[in-house]
Amino acid sequence: MSESRGDTVGIAGAGAFGTALANMVAGAGRDAVLWSTDENVVAEINESHRSESRLPGITLSPRVSAVADPGELCRRARLIVVAVASGQLVTRARLLGEVCDGDTLFVHAIGALTEPGQRRGSSPTGGALPSEILVAETPALRIGALAGPALPDELCRGRYASMVCASPFAEVTAETRRLCGAPPVLRIYEGSDLAGVELSAALAGAYTIALGIADALEVGPVPRAVLVTRAVAEGARVVEAAGGDKKTFFGLAGLGNLLVRGPGSAPAGATSETAPGSRDYRLGRDLGGGAQPSVSTEGARAAVALIRVAAKVGVRAPVLAAVAAVVTGELSPEDAAAAAADTVAAAE
Amino acid sequence: MHRAPRLAGLNAERDRIIDEVTSRVVSARVRKSRAGGDASLEYALNEAAYHEILRLEKDPSAAAKRRALAWHKLSNRLARMTEATARESLTDLVRELACDVAGNFNHRVYRVANDVLPPALSLLFSPLGSLRGGLSALEGMRSRIVTVGPLAAIRAAAERGTLIVTPTHSSNLDSVVLGFGLSRSGLPPVTYGAGKNLFSNPFLGFFMHNLGAYRVDRRLKFGLYKDVLKEYSTVLLERGYHSLFFPGGTRCRSNQVERHLQLGLLGTGLAALENGLRSGQAVRPIYVVPVTINYRLVLEAETLIDDHLAEIGKSRYIIEDDEASRLGRIVEFSRKIIAHEGAVVLRLGQPMDVFGNLTDDDGASIDHRGRPVDPATYLRGADGTIARDPQRDTEYTRILGRALGAAYLRQTVLMSPHLLARAMFEAICDQAGTRDIYRLLRMPESGTHVPFASVLSGIDGVRRAVAENPAWGELSDSVRGAAAEDVADDAIRALSTYHTREIVRRRGRDLTCPDLKLLFYYQNRTDHIPAEALA
Repeated sequence: MSESRGDTVGIAGAGAFGTALANMVAGAGRDAVLWSTDENVVAEINESHRSESRLPGITLSPRVSAVADPGELCRRARLIVVAVASGQLVTRARLLGEVCDGDTLFVHAIGALTEPGQRRGSSPTGGALPSEILVAETPALRIGALAGPALPDELCRGRYASMVCASPFAEVTAETRRLCGAPPVLRIYEGSDLAGVELSAALAGAYTIALGIADALEVGPVPRAVLVTRAVAEGARVVEAAGGDKKTFFGLAGLGNLLVRGPGSAPAGATSETAPGSRDYRLGRDLGGGAQPSVSTEGARAAVALIRVAAKVGVRAPVLAAVAAVVTGELSPEDAAAAAADTVAAAE
Repeated sequence: MHRAPRLAGLNAERDRIIDEVTSRVVSARVRKSRAGGDASLEYALNEAAYHEILRLEKDPSAAAKRRALAWHKLSNRLARMTEATARESLTDLVRELACDVAGNFNHRVYRVANDVLPPALSLLFSPLGSLRGGLSALEGMRSRIVTVGPLAAIRAAAERGTLIVTPTHSSNLDSVVLGFGLSRSGLPPVTYGAGKNLFSNPFLGFFMHNLGAYRVDRRLKFGLYKDVLKEYSTVLLERGYHSLFFPGGTRCRSNQVERHLQLGLLGTGLAALENGLRSGQAVRPIYVVPVTINYRLVLEAETLIDDHLAEIGKSRYIIEDDEASRLGRIVEFSRKIIAHEGAVVLRLGQPMDVFGNLTDDDGASIDHRGRPVDPATYLRGADGTIARDPQRDTEYTRILGRALGAAYLRQTVLMSPHLLARAMFEAICDQAGTRDIYRLLRMPESGTHVPFASVLSGIDGVRRAVAENPAWGELSDSVRGAAAEDVADDAIRALSTYHTREIVRRRGRDLTCPDLKLLFYYQNRTDHIPAEALA
């Protein structure tokens, strides 16, 4: 029997995380509707209950369905988890904005900021936070963010994961917990520091690249430990200066994400789709190994956007600056590592 | 022929409004009291008694002693009260508070005030004996107060729904100027909360008492009183009475454009909408109209900036000894206003809904991308019905507050004193190597000598920055196309004549600033524009 609109979870984006979340929600006894712009993915999910390109080998629950029409998504679900790549957010949000109303609750699971220069705003982040984009592009006001160490493959295997949902609206976090939480597999904690969670998740991606670079350069355990420690301190400073609570970075969205995205986060046999958190780490390793500079992952995009935020709010962020310099090709990994180490040592 | 404004119905409905307020406040408290503890009726009554006894014991008058005794008696009875008695005492207290708050409107007084004797409104803050002198000086205000903005849309919104007019607050003349500007723009009279102390002046009290103002006693600190005030405002809005709140709370001491707004009364618009939707009857939309009141010169600038800069001043909520309490200063100020065309600009903005969405000319709410949105959808819960959720509503009101703050910035009209003050302040800061106002204030006057040419270039910088960033404000007509030197001369004249202390003096090719505090006050109007943007 299909659930009412208020008891159905909508998920915008049928990537690995969105599909795994839908499957887990369905496994917990609720209906989940995925919105994909790819008709083939929609047909595959509806007809064979599979999404081979996103979650190979996984059979999805019959309570998971897919739609290609965002209007249908909004008609069937009041709570919509937006799980698309940051680069697609503006386009997808605009489409959702055409069909949703003020009663829709949006919770995004995007650990990045939008491309620099894409937005202008008076907030410390210049309108680049995903929540700011959802407000700007849709009529919805009840917005939240979902972040933390939950890998798609782990969710599908029923392994323990936790995430935090933050929103200034208690209703949003309560509904997300009620509809998406599936203890003991997925526990969702509630918070109100929306900007803090968004920034922490984005920063964690950027610092994961730094970890990959450090490992490729074989810096050794001590410099690596120093790097992680400094990154955590720096992340907390950036979050606080940009309007969040610095303690948020020490939680699931910041430190939790940083720990899960490092080496070993990708299960054996995982593809880049099934372990998105590790893409940042692999990019860092590739760059450290001499690959061409590339702003190709969420963490890399976050680094470039966040360094502007740090400058705007007047916070020193040498680790972030080093990551941004490497992914954009301004500095070699070796020079960036040396510059970051010197800056940290000189300033602290 | 004049059509009676909505406020003309206030007297006939006054008793019903008081009944409604009493019933709602008592019911809400009784509902909450079921949780026990701090929410109990005894606790609510005890809190009121505690605060009132503390307050009244500081007052040596016989009336205060009698009131304090009555509160003591109530307090002593609390422990022995049954639920029914506590409810009865609560009802009596709430009714008494509601009666004290409730306003009154006399249409004939309104006609006289607006049609026959407009400048009389300008004397709301003057003692009765000085009426004649004040009037002659204030006659010219009619042509000096300029009202701009989407007036037709606001007039239509007032016909279609209920307005909440939300102005910035710099001066005690604000309500006078605003009342005058609204009336002259064909907008209806509004009700507003005014400090109870203002009602004690026989002249002032007469107008306030008859023009719909309701009494706000800022000395009463207990929660029940705040409940009564908010519910009174909510009921008025539900019944279609246009209202006015100053979201900044008190007059802005620094002269910065207000950004930190108080949300208490602002949230009553949402409460009124929600109550209307839950009633299932046709609901009149509620429109929030942002207004900036832009003065070339501010009457109380000297007192306000002193208060802002003094640590102790930050805690003063009511100032009773400022320029607004001295008739001579008001008359002098009014003469200066008369001397300058467009000396006060009331800039009204496009009406918003109570969620901070702009509305279109047909009064429909639109989102950031201009798409229509039904305000009722923001109040729906998971089951699709209108759901009560105080935490959600507080957050919505915060969003409205932020939207108002942004509107205030956009609608700030910058005049020559603001441009000159900012340009000169920047030049002084550059020369001194600091922006710390306390360090700057310790400098001798010689430290404020700056080349006139650099100030002229600074004026152009401010004008350019504002022209390129509409979110930072707009330029008044008189400074938009004028030569920088003319803008500077006009500002020097204005700043050097009204205030008791000269602010800017020209010395050959230099300018000097004998009163950096006041220069700081006027430059603060552009404080939201970063210094880097002026280069």
